[in-house]
Amino acid sequence: MSEQERRPEDDGQDFANAAWSIPSYLLAGMAIYGGGGWLLDRWLDTSAFFPIGVVLGIVLSVYLVYRKYGR
Amino acid sequence: MSALTVLADDQFKAPSPDELFTFTPIIPGVDWFTKPVLLALLSSVVVIGFCWAAFANPKVVPRGVQNVAEYGYMFVRDQVARPFLGKDADRWMGLLLTLFFLVFLWNIMGVIPILQFPVASHIAFPAVLAISIYVLKVYLGVKHQGAVGYFKNMMFPPGLPKPIYILLSPIEFLSNMIIAPFTHAVRLFANMFAGHMLLAFFSMVGFWFLFEKLTPLGATVGVIGVVMTIIFTAFEIFIQFLQAFLFAMLASMYIGGALHAEH
Amino acid sequence: MTMAATILAAEEGSNPLIPHTFELVVGIFSFFVVLFFVGRLLVPRIQKTLAERTDAIEGGIKRAEEAQAEALNLQKQYRDQLAEARHEAARLREEAREQAAQIRAELREDAQAEARRLVEAAHAQIEADRQAAFAQLRTEIGRLSTDLASRIVGESLEDEARQSRVVDRFLDELESSDAQAVR
Repeated sequence: MSEQERRPEDDGQDFANAAWSIPSYLLAGMAIYGGGGWLLDRWLDTSAFFPIGVVLGIVLSVYLVYRKYGR
Repeated sequence: MSALTVLADDQFKAPSPDELFTFTPIIPGVDWFTKPVLLALLSSVVVIGFCWAAFANPKVVPRGVQNVAEYGYMFVRDQVARPFLGKDADRWMGLLLTLFFLVFLWNIMGVIPILQFPVASHIAFPAVLAISIYVLKVYLGVKHQGAVGYFKNMMFPPGLPKPIYILLSPIEFLSNMIIAPFTHAVRLFANMFAGHMLLAFFSMVGFWFLFEKLTPLGATVGVIGVVMTIIFTAFEIFIQFLQAFLFAMLASMYIGGALHAEH
Repeated sequence: MTMAATILAAEEGSNPLIPHTFELVVGIFSFFVVLFFVGRLLVPRIQKTLAERTDAIEGGIKRAEEAQAEALNLQKQYRDQLAEARHEAARLREEAREQAAQIRAELREDAQAEARRLVEAAHAQIEADRQAAFAQLRTEIGRLSTDLASRIVGESLEDEARQSRVVDRFLDELESSDAQAVR
């Protein structure tokens, strides 16, 4: 949507979008990178990649939400 | 009520989910016809009947049922449809009003005496709605933004440094395509499930200590149980309304996002 | 079949996240039935009514505005007409006054002319009378003078020609002396 098309309700829409997207993004980030770490752990017979993946997923999700809705 | 079997024991036992959410068929032999199914069908009949009474022959100057139903319509239009759909709001009001009324009826069944079971606390019912919305969302997204455009807009939001996309696109995809519809259904289900558990627990406390094992000390606990049941019933009505609103609102948000790419 | 479903239902009961198959079917059925009746049939009706109501309200406001505009227009028209009428009346009065003045002037002129004419006629009459009197007086005076003279002089003036010659001469002398006296 271009700038001149913005209506007053868009701000509320942005806020609602962000509010309802954050848990979804966090879950997705944790699942993808946590899952990847878990698979790596199984493959390499380690136990470090799963927690690293979960944290990385959270960080990336927060970054994504910040870039999409934060400004 | 299978929940009553716990009373055979001498000790108070909190009702378990199995006791609260598993039902035997109402008519022996007709397996599919259980209490939640009956209540779901009843909810549909009530919603249709209510809307028929209100909107079948609407007057320019509203009165009676039409007045009440119009409040519901205005609420859904102004709070659910317009903020996310803008000028397309009227086209989707039929779906959103149906969702709101139906989910609200499913939920409110949990506090109506005798019926007392929130239909939405069985995951199948929120799931069919969420799946329908999900199918509609993907269909509208592909129709309005093109198959490639839809996934491109979804997975590659503009304004990010290029290398980051490799890391973020899987998150976007998983979030929008799998987690979102899942949470859409589970949020409603979990709220109703937990609410029903709470209400059942407190009413069971009241019933047990005031009627089954009346002791001077237990009576206090029983009274507290009754008071808490009343308080939580009021709270549940609010939650049931809120969850119906949120369910419709999220549906509106998904449809709006499919019609226009996010900026 | 019945047994299997019962066992399935009992097993499903232990995990609330696993949906029951028949509930999925009933859920879809009840959702689409409501969607058809409420979303397809009834919501368009109320939307039509709401649009009509908006129309009626906006139409009412518009009609009121139109009526007001018309009233204002009419008032302005009346005021204009009144002003015009006043103006016209003033113009007529002015014209009448002018006409009256003109008539009066004309009448006065006529009267003066008439008076002048009368005076002139009177003058002419007087002149004519004077001439006639003078002529008559001349003969009268001539006869009287001759009578008087003949009595005084004793001279018989029976000779008519002579007599009138004498008188004429006398009168001419008289006239010339008069003229000399005037001069």
